[in-house]
Amino acid sequence: MGETPLVNENPVIKIQGFCKSYKKQAAVKGVDLSVERGEIYGLIGPDGSGKSSLMKAIAGVLSFEQGELEVFGIKVDSESSAERIKGRLGFMPQGLGLNLYGDLSVEENIDFFAQLRQVTPAQLAERKQKLLKITRLDKFRDRPMKNLSGGMKQKLGLVCTLIHGPELVVLDEPTTGVDPVSRGDFWAILAELLREQGVTALVSTAYMDEAARFHRLSLMYDGRILAAGEPEFICRQAQGSLVELSAEPQIQALDQLKNHYAQVEAIGSRLRVFVDDKSPNEASKAVSDLLVGVEVKAIRASEAELEDAFIALLRRRRLADQKTNNHAVPRLDPPLPEGQGIAIEARQLTRDFGQFRAVDRIDFTVRQGEIFGLLGANGAGKTTAIKMLTGIVPPTAGEGQVAGADMRYAGQTIKERIGYMSQAFSLYLDLTVLENIHLYARIYGVSRSIIKQRIAWVIDIAGLADVTGQLTGSLPMGIRQRLALGCALAHQPGVLFLDEPTSGVDPVGRRRFWDILVRLARVEQVAILVTTHYMSEAEHCDHLALMYAGRIIADDSPTNMIRALQQEAGQLLKIATDRPLEALALLKQADFKGAALFGKHIHLLALDIETVKKQIDALLDKQAIRLIDLTVHAPTLEDVFVYRVLALENQELS
Amino acid sequence: MNLIRVWAVTYKEWREILRDRLFFAMAFVLPLVIFLVLGWGISFDVENIPFAVLDQDKTAMSRDFLHRFIDSRYFDYKGDVRSEREFDALLAHSDIRFAIIIPPRFQEHLLAGQSTSVQSLIDGVFPYRAQVAKGYVSAIIANFNSYSLADYLAGTRGISREQALAQVAPVLIDPRYLYNQALRSQWSMASGLLMLVLMVTPPFLTALGVVREKENGSIYNIYASTISRSEFILGKFLPYLLISCLNILILWWVVMNVFGTPFKGDPLFYYAASVIYVICTAGAGLLISLLVQTQVAAIMLTMVISFVPAMLYSGLLVPIESMEAGTQFEAHLFPTLYYLRISWGSFLKGLGWAELWFDVVALMLYAIILWVVGYLNFHKRPKQ
Repeated sequence: MGETPLVNENPVIKIQGFCKSYKKQAAVKGVDLSVERGEIYGLIGPDGSGKSSLMKAIAGVLSFEQGELEVFGIKVDSESSAERIKGRLGFMPQGLGLNLYGDLSVEENIDFFAQLRQVTPAQLAERKQKLLKITRLDKFRDRPMKNLSGGMKQKLGLVCTLIHGPELVVLDEPTTGVDPVSRGDFWAILAELLREQGVTALVSTAYMDEAARFHRLSLMYDGRILAAGEPEFICRQAQGSLVELSAEPQIQALDQLKNHYAQVEAIGSRLRVFVDDKSPNEASKAVSDLLVGVEVKAIRASEAELEDAFIALLRRRRLADQKTNNHAVPRLDPPLPEGQGIAIEARQLTRDFGQFRAVDRIDFTVRQGEIFGLLGANGAGKTTAIKMLTGIVPPTAGEGQVAGADMRYAGQTIKERIGYMSQAFSLYLDLTVLENIHLYARIYGVSRSIIKQRIAWVIDIAGLADVTGQLTGSLPMGIRQRLALGCALAHQPGVLFLDEPTSGVDPVGRRRFWDILVRLARVEQVAILVTTHYMSEAEHCDHLALMYAGRIIADDSPTNMIRALQQEAGQLLKIATDRPLEALALLKQADFKGAALFGKHIHLLALDIETVKKQIDALLDKQAIRLIDLTVHAPTLEDVFVYRVLALENQELS
Repeated sequence: MNLIRVWAVTYKEWREILRDRLFFAMAFVLPLVIFLVLGWGISFDVENIPFAVLDQDKTAMSRDFLHRFIDSRYFDYKGDVRSEREFDALLAHSDIRFAIIIPPRFQEHLLAGQSTSVQSLIDGVFPYRAQVAKGYVSAIIANFNSYSLADYLAGTRGISREQALAQVAPVLIDPRYLYNQALRSQWSMASGLLMLVLMVTPPFLTALGVVREKENGSIYNIYASTISRSEFILGKFLPYLLISCLNILILWWVVMNVFGTPFKGDPLFYYAASVIYVICTAGAGLLISLLVQTQVAAIMLTMVISFVPAMLYSGLLVPIESMEAGTQFEAHLFPTLYYLRISWGSFLKGLGWAELWFDVVALMLYAIILWVVGYLNFHKRPKQ
């Protein structure tokens, strides 16, 4: 190709002072980045933080105004210089299967990419065979791409990106909207392929909890890099500790903590406080000393996690403040009766679309004042379930009660008693915040005599006081979602349905949003049914239902779910070794089926920790792999989901 | 130029078109529908003008006069009325578009050698039709006048009626219409509409083909790969060229067999010129695809960009010669004018390369300019 040969130490990607604007809107504002050969480098940040622009520029498919970009030591500053790197690079743009061709089969898609890249037939046959086998897509060679599941589409996208044997792959949010099992699968395949072929990868994600998958990463926010380095290093940069506790009454404890600390949130029955500049022990003591008049049940302090670190870093740089509402405007109507009234009940609810069963006999109940989470990947049936309960889609079978009315016969009554915030954005972007709220209040039939008071209440509860006069279109995602929530509350419904309300919102915005939900549930006794594909968010719910392929596969409180997993499969072991990929292969051979690679660590569920530790020690010793560290953690909800789905799949196979 | 990569794009595109039933149907059904709707819909023949009569004379002569209208294929007799006031409602509701009033003592005046006037009311909402109707009325009355004069001469001079007629009207106009003997506007319209449909559908398909990939994001496969711009554009265009070449044949068949228009020219020349025209209009589609990001926008823009020159500046509805100087100049900037000349020349006049070479060269130039501009503005490393 005529390029000068590379010295191994040279970074594959080297960026300095990178800036990119769209018209007058600056998307990336001065980014420095360097990616070494053979590593999986992560870009983590919310929508609109500039990840995609940066990645496209690196792939040579987007021009930029300022800064220096070198890929494989070639300076990319024009269309012709960009052409010189493309033969050695693979790029997978954002969107679930969007860069693939829906009407073409799996094999035809691969063949197209291969022809485009001039892969010889012999090479193609060999690589196709191998890649299809690793991704377990070989059974679906002839299936049209559009009929694949989200996880399979992304795996096919990966195969197509790798078919010409690139040295560097740039993957833009490959796991967004994919269920946790397929996500784990995707990362495992990626790690395996990269190891075998010595490929370097630059991968972006909006999920903070995927940080552990990377060797190194950059946290991005508003076009800038907030912090860069190994995941642990970034967490340490936040300089503080995380205190988790349970307290009664929760809302009182929450208010007290918020008066003192900037970073406080309620997660289900627990409270999480980030304490700046203190060791875990000091922090724990400071928090328990602060609380008066509430009963502190369990208190535990630990190092910060990445999401906390992200928010702490933002706060330090004054890029975001976690403002809290004082909620001065009282609700006019008497609050909903506190107690055990059932707000939503689904019994054997089923919905078919032709041959396809979108929702398969689901049962659940939501009480007044409860936050109920419906969890699952894109296409698991969450949205259809919500649409049935809100009377938008009639069920094929089964029945349900919503706000005291039968959903089959009283669609109109239900619509008057519930608030619904849909996945699709339902606000008028050319109206101001106030005009939108006014419009929705009028649509919901709020009478003229109380409309002023009501609007004031909505603005107060959704925390919109600073932006009432602004055009909705000019607001950032997080505030728009709060406005959409406010509009859904305009008639003070007793039941609230939220369909993926926080997807694409940054962690600060997400926390603020959940803050409001917690208040609505605890203080106003509103029943809330919320869907999400962020597993980390699920912990906010009082009660969870995991959906998979239209069915509910687990239904309990988050704590109970984790406890049940601990009893069945044990604790989570995080194993650090000097040769993680070899260690993983070794463990899998030794029948540790659930072992998975997260960056440099191996995760494993184990019941009898001491015995397993010894086994692992012996195994690694034999191959002279050095065990650096082995720590025991409580499994997360993601582990629960993965475990339950895999168990189900195994059961179906046998 | 690497043909494997061109073929990769062409083959993929062709597979997608074949499997996307809606798009496939649109590629062939849409041109046919536009063609039939406009072909049957637009007609400039003014025939069967509905009319009514108020005969206040009711004599042999008035009846003879009226029969010249009633028997004409240009008029459609709807009946007699009893008073002038009845016309108002009939005309207002468009039940009739023309009314004729014979005054009292019509025959008496004529026999006495005096002149008399017949009043005619013509619906003037559509001026073109009113003008044509007035022309018919004048012609019929002039004809009636010559016959009355000839009869009078024949009676007084004792010569035969034919001799008298020759003296009354010594110069007769005997028009013979060339190329479209029966003056059927459908012949001209059908062969002219080829120009319009081939102006609309090739850019429509080409623009959608490219914009669809832009909208999905699959265009990044192209941007990020080593395929060159020209290879991609060519590969992308070939399937749509094939579809358009088939469409030329289908529409040609319709022009001849559904609309009965004869084809007098050289089929090979006409087909070659049509392919050049299609390449040219598809080039406009490429330009559109560079300007817009969504398929909806592509459809809107294609419709505006293609329909306006095809309808207004081609000479299909208004002859170029009757346009103002500025408009005439503008008309020459669009390819539609040249192809319409080729189309009418080939179908109706039997012309070929010798007479139409200039128009073909104009189309070629046009095609080259559009594709070169399109190529230069297609970037694999865009700003957005």
